[in-house]
Amino acid sequence: MSRVNTVLGPVPAEELGFVAIHEHIGYGMPGSELDTTWWKSPEERYQETVPKLRAFREHGGGTFVDVTGICNGRDVDYYKSLSAKTGVHIVACTGFVGGDTALPYFARAGVEELTRQFVHEITVGIGDTGSLAGVIKVGVSRGGRMTDLDKRIYRAAARAALTTGVPVLTHLAIDAENAIAVFEEEGLPLHRVLFGHVDDGVNAGRTRDTWIAEQGGRIGFDTFGYETELPDPPFWARPRQERLDHFLRFVGEGRLTQVLASADANCSPLGWPGVRGHTVNYLFDDLLPDLRAAGLDEAAIRTVFVDNPAGFLTLQK
Amino acid sequence: MSVKSNTVNTVLGPVPAEDLGVVSVHEALLSVLPGAQYAVDVTLDRAEVFETLAARLTEFRAAGGGTVVDATGMFHGRDVRLYEALSRTTGVHLVASTGQGPEELLGGYFLTPQTNPPTPWPAEKFAGLFAREVDEGMVVPRVERRGAAGLIATAATRTGMTATDESLFRGAARAALRTGVAVSLRHGHDAVHDLDVVLDEKLPADRVVVGGLDRRDAVAAGAPLAVARRGAYVALDHVGGTDADHLTDTERAALVADLVRAGLGDRVLLSCGATGVAKGHPGNDVPYAHLLTAFVPLLEARGLGDEDTRRILVENPRELLSVR
Repeated sequence: MSRVNTVLGPVPAEELGFVAIHEHIGYGMPGSELDTTWWKSPEERYQETVPKLRAFREHGGGTFVDVTGICNGRDVDYYKSLSAKTGVHIVACTGFVGGDTALPYFARAGVEELTRQFVHEITVGIGDTGSLAGVIKVGVSRGGRMTDLDKRIYRAAARAALTTGVPVLTHLAIDAENAIAVFEEEGLPLHRVLFGHVDDGVNAGRTRDTWIAEQGGRIGFDTFGYETELPDPPFWARPRQERLDHFLRFVGEGRLTQVLASADANCSPLGWPGVRGHTVNYLFDDLLPDLRAAGLDEAAIRTVFVDNPAGFLTLQK
Repeated sequence: MSVKSNTVNTVLGPVPAEDLGVVSVHEALLSVLPGAQYAVDVTLDRAEVFETLAARLTEFRAAGGGTVVDATGMFHGRDVRLYEALSRTTGVHLVASTGQGPEELLGGYFLTPQTNPPTPWPAEKFAGLFAREVDEGMVVPRVERRGAAGLIATAATRTGMTATDESLFRGAARAALRTGVAVSLRHGHDAVHDLDVVLDEKLPADRVVVGGLDRRDAVAAGAPLAVARRGAYVALDHVGGTDADHLTDTERAALVADLVRAGLGDRVLLSCGATGVAKGHPGNDVPYAHLLTAFVPLLEARGLGDEDTRRILVENPRELLSVR
């Protein structure tokens, strides 16, 4: 049976349609909730978010994967209401964006406790929402190397993935040797791992995307739209053409079935200003036209945005 | 404002300092290790938390207590609305605190911000964050502000103050200078060093309480006397504790008597460091009332008179908590 956990319950993978695989309804670093600088009323939140999801749906978008970690403002009840009212499937995650976004309770935890947390959120539910996590988020802390805590989280994620069949999705693919060593020690096949952010402006040059793909990992070009051409680009921005060329070169090497793409945008950021003008709909407004202009056919586009994510998100035990 | 204001910020608003009665200055009401609120093996039943805390506060009041200060800061389970209801129900004045620390207990927002490089927050930003919790009210995260914080609480890393701890201390001192609310600090490795950081910001010593001075290492270093001589308040805040790191109650009573005999009785504060309800960590299960039911008799046995006891339990905390 093909089965994917969304916030409104399991759905067949065949129903997912076009998937934005690495997105945020709203992301904030832990503790940002204490700083009123970023507060917005619920009215403002819905006003900023609903039109983006509606446009996503109208463009033909089917599924929005929210990879906001446990301590980053993840709000599953809110996601449920958004999904129910807009018709967009929303997949929520368990896990952490990186060890440096895990609060002390989790930072002090061992692999077994972290595994228990992840498995519970995938099989029993997130908090009292009853919603099951559909992916496990892990990541590399600021600084470029995996910390001991990062490694504990990766190991727990691998165990939870093996136990539950849910895939793992990473924030950053730098220091991949250490990540892959953990996954191999735990026996998690690398096609169950999406190594994300291989395309961002800070890390692209030191991310071994080809090597990761050769090991069997899936590759995430998932910061599309964070461009130096923006009026106020973030520090991880990259020239538009450079990112596009990187993607096309990689796909041209015969790796079409291993890539996934997304925009990593915030519908309504929680603890930072966000990036004006950048939304999940970059995928429809800019990326698809660019890909078509570069000669990618509809079958290839379907592979990247429909078939690859469906295979990745389907629970596999 | 007059030089010596006579009100204290409680969760139900400003209260005349004379009304506080016996104050336990370093306690915890609901104490949640950051992150535990999201943990699958932690349950937070507000009605149950209320019932437990109300029973403990009622017991404290029955023993003669008047005010409990929750000195855990803004990010360790503080629940202002719950505390308002508790204060209304039990008649115990509750003072809640702003502040954070040590570094290990901070969220990534303060340590690895979304900037390149991810430089931790400087003192001035912490000062603004804490001062607003006094001037504009304490936050219920992403929902609203409530009443004014009555104390700015911070702490240094046990093995020694880190650079971010120092930013927290300097920020707390600046917020205290701007708002008139006092600073509570839990020292790390060296109490006098840590105190000197806030004094370096020109905060008067009598606006500072140094906690944890009944720790064996602090006593061995002579910290209680040194801190009192600098003019700061000395909190012996593990009354009733039985762990190996701290003095026993008998030793603690002797230390109080020594300080009083040295003429420093006006610098001493007592508290249990109790955790009313702990989530995600073991907590300290001593009742708030232990201070009055078990420890005060030990002080009397040491020859302390009613006047000494009253100074330590009523007058000293009243001076500290009065907004200047």
